[in-house]
Amino acid sequence: MNIIVTVKQVADPNIPPAHIQLDPDGKRIISPFGVPPVMNGYDANALEEAIRLKEAHGGKITVLGLGDDTSRESLKMAVAMGADTAILINDPDLVNGDSATIGRALAAAIKKIGMPDLVLCGRQASDTDGGQVLHWLAEALDLPTVAPVTKIEAVAGNELTVHRLIEDGYQRIKVELPALLGVSSEINEARHPSVRGTMAAGRAMIAGWKAADIGLAPQTPKVELRELQIQLRTTKAELIEGASGAEKGAALANKLHELGLI
Amino acid sequence: MAGVLVFGDTVGGKLAPASLEMAVAGAALAQALNEPLAGALIGDGLDAAAAEFAGGFTTLHLLEGKHLRPYTARCAIAAARAAIEACKPSVVLFPHTLETREWVPRLAAMLDTGLVMDCTALAAEGSDLVVSKPVYGGGVVAQYVVRGVTRLVTVRTGVFEGGAGAASAAVNKIAVAEPAAGRVTLIDEQKMQAEGGVRLKDATTIVSGGRGLGGPDNWHYIEEAAASIGGAVGCSRPVADSGWVSSAHQVGLSGTSVKPDLYIAVGISGAVQHLAGISNSSTVVAINVDGDADMFTRANYGVVGDYKEVLPGFVARAKQLRG
Ligand SMILES: Cc1cc2nc3c(=O)[nH]c(=O)nc-3n(C[C@H](O)[C@H](O)[C@H](O)COP(=O)(O)OP(=O)(O)OC[C@H]3O[C@@H](n4cnc5c(N)ncnc54)[C@H](O)[C@@H]3O)c2cc1C
Ligand SMILES: Nc1ncnc2c1ncn2[C@@H]1O[C@H](COP(=O)(O)O)[C@@H](O)[C@H]1O
Repeated sequence: MNIIVTVKQVADPNIPPAHIQLDPDGKRIISPFGVPPVMNGYDANALEEAIRLKEAHGGKITVLGLGDDTSRESLKMAVAMGADTAILINDPDLVNGDSATIGRALAAAIKKIGMPDLVLCGRQASDTDGGQVLHWLAEALDLPTVAPVTKIEAVAGNELTVHRLIEDGYQRIKVELPALLGVSSEINEARHPSVRGTMAAGRAMIAGWKAADIGLAPQTPKVELRELQIQLRTTKAELIEGASGAEKGAALANKLHELGLI
Repeated sequence: MAGVLVFGDTVGGKLAPASLEMAVAGAALAQALNEPLAGALIGDGLDAAAAEFAGGFTTLHLLEGKHLRPYTARCAIAAARAAIEACKPSVVLFPHTLETREWVPRLAAMLDTGLVMDCTALAAEGSDLVVSKPVYGGGVVAQYVVRGVTRLVTVRTGVFEGGAGAASAAVNKIAVAEPAAGRVTLIDEQKMQAEGGVRLKDATTIVSGGRGLGGPDNWHYIEEAAASIGGAVGCSRPVADSGWVSSAHQVGLSGTSVKPDLYIAVGISGAVQHLAGISNSSTVVAINVDGDADMFTRANYGVVGDYKEVLPGFVARAKQLRG
């Protein structure tokens, strides 16, 4: 099964708001010194799932990213985990594009690579929390899509059975290949790179494509970012005291009862 | 293209509370844009839900068909397109749910129009639509201008206060023809029964546990605490990812947004992605061994201590007080 996994590099989502920094025009988050950017977590889950499918069914895994040149680090990480090939779209005109632009650029690159059996994306990127790019990509390639996917239950011929998260459980869904899935974190735990993988990543050549290389026409943005604003929390909880843990617990119950909350 | 179209939501044939929030958000926007306000519901047998969907709409479009329940993206898109075709709005609002998260972006791509999801504020500046949305897990708020002929927005639930609006002027029933079979087929739905049968989203009291519980064997501490005060059970993402409980209980950015009167977070550090789901809770309590945990910056009341001591003390006293 040939699989393309889209991989976005993002500022580490664990940076607390107080340490988030913005670039001078207030439009981008900059990773603080010493906290390198990471592969988007859901994309790591998508890649892990691709590797498991390859282990079970054979095939080839291509990872595809769009970002500035530093994004090569995440693509190398993807190779170290087990991807066969990595391609980066690093056209400066596309890097700050809206979801439509990025989705269509990824689609154009996939057309150039050749249609795989499966495209795996993350359900959303942890910097934009957008949740859109995969769907613009799917529409541009006319692929059936399921998201968020928490499990691939079965692979039979050109059909997958997958689980899609719903509020009180999951839907079991059959989807025809080629297809695109938006992967959620329940699906697996992403592996760490092996030594052999890390060596392969060191040797990997990562192509850098521009809009012209993928035949992408200029796009007018549909969504324009005006500004970002950091949300700081300065409040502090009123602490409930007591001589022991159990007494604090009882004091908490008293307090909440007084407030009419329990 | 003129007008604001507001989609409501139904659960089990009943109007979901988020629908009235959308109506309030839509009414304010329609007034600012000086455009008419219409409503829409998608489902099978909508009369009961329609009667409650009071938003003072010029028209309430009811998109009905047997194939529209249970949800599939293909059928939801076909239905929404019929409503958009009927009233040609300049802005369409949807509640941000696990369903709209899937089908509305695909609709945007089909219509080749701008969409921003999970918005917490909407404003008109002249004819421009300006929306705010938490990004980066909630640590940052982004402001966007949305462009397009039919601009689409999904709105975070629990942000707008749902009012008791006026009845609608007219109801327009549209029988949506079932689209041709797609390449995505629903086999069945597997429901996980929520403990006590309270939907997290609608719960007024929630006790939520995090990774600090240490493992599934300790989960009964959370269940007992919730039971002692008649609350629903919630959890942080690592708990759902590790399968201690089903993801139906997950609170946060990628889980459910809740708005209880009381939210008790036990062994949860307070990452922005978790806080994103509880921003509309009225009273928040943190129980954590680490007094520096971020949860204490959101909580109104805090207990610094080991939950294994604090919760049994809490449960015993709560039972006495509640008789
Ligand atoms: C895109 C994205 C989406 C996400 N969506 C969500 C989401 O929807 N919901 C969500 O919750 N997270 C979400 N996360 C994950 C989030 O970033 C955090 O990793 C997660 O919330 C941490 O869970 P936790 O607080 O249970 O665990 P931890 O951060 O490990 O915290 C455990 C806490 O337990 C305390 N503790 C330990 N032992 C005890 C004890 N004996 N008694 C009392 N306290 C104790 C510790 O001091 C600590 O504060 C998301 C992340 C990303 C990147
Ligand atoms: N710049 C990018 N490069 C590669 N993949 C991307 C990029 N942006 C988004 N994606 C993919 O689309 C998913 C959803 O992204 P978003 O719509 O930004 O939340 C991500 O999890 C990625 O798999």
